[in-house]
Amino acid sequence: MVVKSDDNKIICRCEEVSLGTIKDIVHHFHCSSREVKLRTRAGMGYCGGRICRTIIEKVVQDINNEKVSNESQLSYRPPIRPVTFGQLGGSENDDES
Amino acid sequence: MNSFDVVVIGAGIIGCSVAYHLSKTGYTVALVDKGDVASGTSSRCDAVALICDKKPGIDTEMGFTSIQLYKKLAKELSFDFEFSSRGSLYVCETDQELEIANNYVNEQAAAGYDMKMVDEKELLDIEPYLAKDLAGGIWTEVDSTMNPYLVCFAFVEEAKKYGLKLYSNHEVKAIKKRPDGSVEAVVTDKTTIHTKKIVNCAGVWAGKIGQLVGIDIPIKPRKGMVLVSEKTKPVVSQKVHEFGYMLSKFEDINYSRNVSKVVEENNIAFTIEPTEAGNFLLGGHRSFKGYDITSENRVMRGIAERALRFLPVLKDIACIRSYAGIRPWVVDHLPIVSDVEEVPGFYIASGHEGDGISMAPITGRMMTQLISNHETDFNIDRLKFSRYKKSSQII
Repeated sequence: MVVKSDDNKIICRCEEVSLGTIKDIVHHFHCSSREVKLRTRAGMGYCGGRICRTIIEKVVQDINNEKVSNESQLSYRPPIRPVTFGQLGGSENDDES
Repeated sequence: MNSFDVVVIGAGIIGCSVAYHLSKTGYTVALVDKGDVASGTSSRCDAVALICDKKPGIDTEMGFTSIQLYKKLAKELSFDFEFSSRGSLYVCETDQELEIANNYVNEQAAAGYDMKMVDEKELLDIEPYLAKDLAGGIWTEVDSTMNPYLVCFAFVEEAKKYGLKLYSNHEVKAIKKRPDGSVEAVVTDKTTIHTKKIVNCAGVWAGKIGQLVGIDIPIKPRKGMVLVSEKTKPVVSQKVHEFGYMLSKFEDINYSRNVSKVVEENNIAFTIEPTEAGNFLLGGHRSFKGYDITSENRVMRGIAERALRFLPVLKDIACIRSYAGIRPWVVDHLPIVSDVEEVPGFYIASGHEGDGISMAPITGRMMTQLISNHETDFNIDRLKFSRYKKSSQII
């Protein structure tokens, strides 16, 4: 099988998911970007999808022939940056209450 | 004309299992969801099938049978849903907790379940990173884990081989009834599907579907937050949770922990489990906040605080994400797996609270038995919808 060079490109760096993998999943399951995330883990890594999210959505929309919308299916979740459990729940936390 | 033997509403874990079991039996089935497969509670949860968090009796019996069914499914289904039986460990903070745990284990062991007490030394042999001052715990061999949304995908993939038709992104707007009151069709925002039988597997939204046929299903959303750790060394090798978890799940256990205000107020009990990917999921939390699934700062801090109490090694490990889901709660903590007398052809499989993943296989099986007029694996009188009618009459 000849692999197109683009398909080897890593889209999600945290979970090391390639463009080819994402394309295969969308072609096979005709699915949303959210389902791509769940099936490949793209966007579920250390950065919380903050780097690859828009690319994943663009790839999915191109294949599914959807209009690119401003509303994202892939959600951002706190914390904004990774934070240790010690900082989050330790005695040094500056609990405002 | 779209016509099916059965229309299953809700493509979460319960609906997917019900649709799979019905399809496999030979029924033509439509699975309808307002979103995608596993777009609600089943992708915002943790991922275990346990008996150790069930009450003795039918609760545990169904949980145990379900795990056995998962073991078979893991071999039968072509789609891998990351199932493994790692066991689970309860930890007790105090001697008083240990005594309650001991009574619970004796009761479960007498019923034939493989649960055993471990002392403080064995606890550290099993999980070396645990805090050194714990009283002991319970080890349950049968307890298992899997990837919750992959189970949903696995059920749907397999059911499609038997002819399942999936109507995702179809919101149910109305349910048509015949003059005799029996069900006739499900009307979505995009199409009408004719059928004589409907199974309401809408979980926390089951009440809204119930209203469409004029019945009141007393399911309330009970929120739970989960924190996700970075990929790190194996800080635990199985599900580990504090025995106090039982106290947060069941209101009738009379014992209160010595915990901080934030932990107490948010009904937080320590739980952690490893995932196949190498991250850890930490909880747990229970509160009634309607359909709100935003992440709450205070709850995140409370979960982290409680986790550090039992697993100090977490101090320097990063939390990379948080999420919240809502469990379909019912007052007596037993799911509704039932027909509905007043609406012939309408069935309910919902209200599993935090046991949806755990109990999905047995629920799918018994709903199929109900619809086929066969005897169910368990006597499910206690799971009947009519139990709520009776209790409201007494009041």
